[in-house]
Amino acid sequence: MDVCTFEKVGIRGTNIVVLGVEKKSVAKLQDERTVRKICALDDHVCMAFAGLTADARVVINRARVECQSHKLTVEDPVTVEYITRFIATLKQKYTQSNGRRPFGISALIVGFDDDGIPRLYQTDPSGTYHAWKANAIGRSAKTVREFLEKNYTEDAIASDNEAIKLAIKALLEVVQSGGKNIELAIRRRNQPLKMFSAKEVELYVTEIEKEKEEAEKKKSKKSV
Amino acid sequence: MAATFFGEVVKAPCRAGTEDEEEEEEEEGRRETPEDREVRQQLARKREVRLLRRQTKTSLEVSLLEKYPCSKFIIAIGNNAVAFLSSFVMNSGVWEEVGCAKLWNEWCRTADTTHLSSTEAFCGFYHLKSNPSVFLCQCSCYVAEDQQYQWLEKVFGSCPRKNMQITILTCRHVTDYKTLESTGSLPSPFLKALKTQNFKDPACCPLLEQPNIVHDLPAAVLSYCQVWKIPAILYLCYTDVMKLDLITVEAFKPILSTRSLKGLVKNIPQSTEILKKLMTTNEIQSNIYT
Repeated sequence: MDVCTFEKVGIRGTNIVVLGVEKKSVAKLQDERTVRKICALDDHVCMAFAGLTADARVVINRARVECQSHKLTVEDPVTVEYITRFIATLKQKYTQSNGRRPFGISALIVGFDDDGIPRLYQTDPSGTYHAWKANAIGRSAKTVREFLEKNYTEDAIASDNEAIKLAIKALLEVVQSGGKNIELAIRRRNQPLKMFSAKEVELYVTEIEKEKEEAEKKKSKKSV
Repeated sequence: MAATFFGEVVKAPCRAGTEDEEEEEEEEGRRETPEDREVRQQLARKREVRLLRRQTKTSLEVSLLEKYPCSKFIIAIGNNAVAFLSSFVMNSGVWEEVGCAKLWNEWCRTADTTHLSSTEAFCGFYHLKSNPSVFLCQCSCYVAEDQQYQWLEKVFGSCPRKNMQITILTCRHVTDYKTLESTGSLPSPFLKALKTQNFKDPACCPLLEQPNIVHDLPAAVLSYCQVWKIPAILYLCYTDVMKLDLITVEAFKPILSTRSLKGLVKNIPQSTEILKKLMTTNEIQSNIYT
């Protein structure tokens, strides 16, 4: 569901998964804290969605219940692939039932499995899901994906910092008014989900801008 | 008359023609009562398209283009096309409003037909102060099918001059675009052009393929120009967001390099900034989507 939605980017690094989202401008009287973009499904899995907020709420609730039910029954936390498959199956059911309409959301689901391998999956309203190394959903997903295709290299994701910068750079391609409209969440292996504060995001944005300027200076020197 | 299997008699339609008695009955039913006439006249008055002068707010006696000579007429229909002209064209020169069209139909948010709010949809006409034969129309209101002919008459007149060039900009939802490709793979938003026979300049984008058609006021204007042999081109932007949207407005940018708009646009970076401001002031804080 790409209409009217804000950008979300997911990147799977070697030791880190990154979810970056475009912050929606909130009405003056609205409590910003209640506008949720990145949701935890369990301690080790989280997701960002693009599309109808109400539909996402229903899907997330069902997924959270399924995560706990799985833990109780099997005594193991869900794998990222399992919960993605559950969400995708749920979405598919609604494309094949009478009197129901499909869930109008695309989701990026990230996390680490027990074996320590980072995962990134994307689902769409039809109920298909695929694993990705890096992907974007939202209004300008195509532009962001093209940027990721050009810039996602093994070097780019070798270090955690580089993976975070790649996510921010990808969002800056389409987000207006820069860093203050970006929210970031990361998860490192065996560590809990970390949400970046606005200041931390700004630091990265400043670093990216410096690197850009230096690269441009080098280019102009070479041409001279 | 015919009998069915169960013995009931039903009135079968007669292909030889209706009987005389039946005709008289039908005519009585069709005959208009004075009340019907009154209602019809009231409705016609309510739906009348009025072209008003800017200063005096009185109706123009003749059509707009009969009153003012015109060599170039750019018409923007729909809020994205209007935003494009506002940011890129109207901010690059001094434009003077010469009049506006007032009309009411069921699409209007108010039932008051006389005092249409100025913050609602509007239809304004402007000319360039430095070259008064260059006209611009910004129409963000919906002109219903029965009002389109009136609009054309009030703007172009019954015998328009042929030595002018018309450019129309409008948007349509991408789901209306008929193509063999899947809509998911279309590079939305994208531009298509449709021109009249007398328009000889090249378009800045591919032409609209069959079986796609143009609808509403843009179609009415283009048909009018084709009939009267006026060179006209329509640039149609297929988009997946019909409300005011930055990406959709920017999809019109290739038109800036065409002869229609050349010379009218001076400072593109500044226009882009103005467009961004326009977007932020108009942003509706919708909580439906995230």
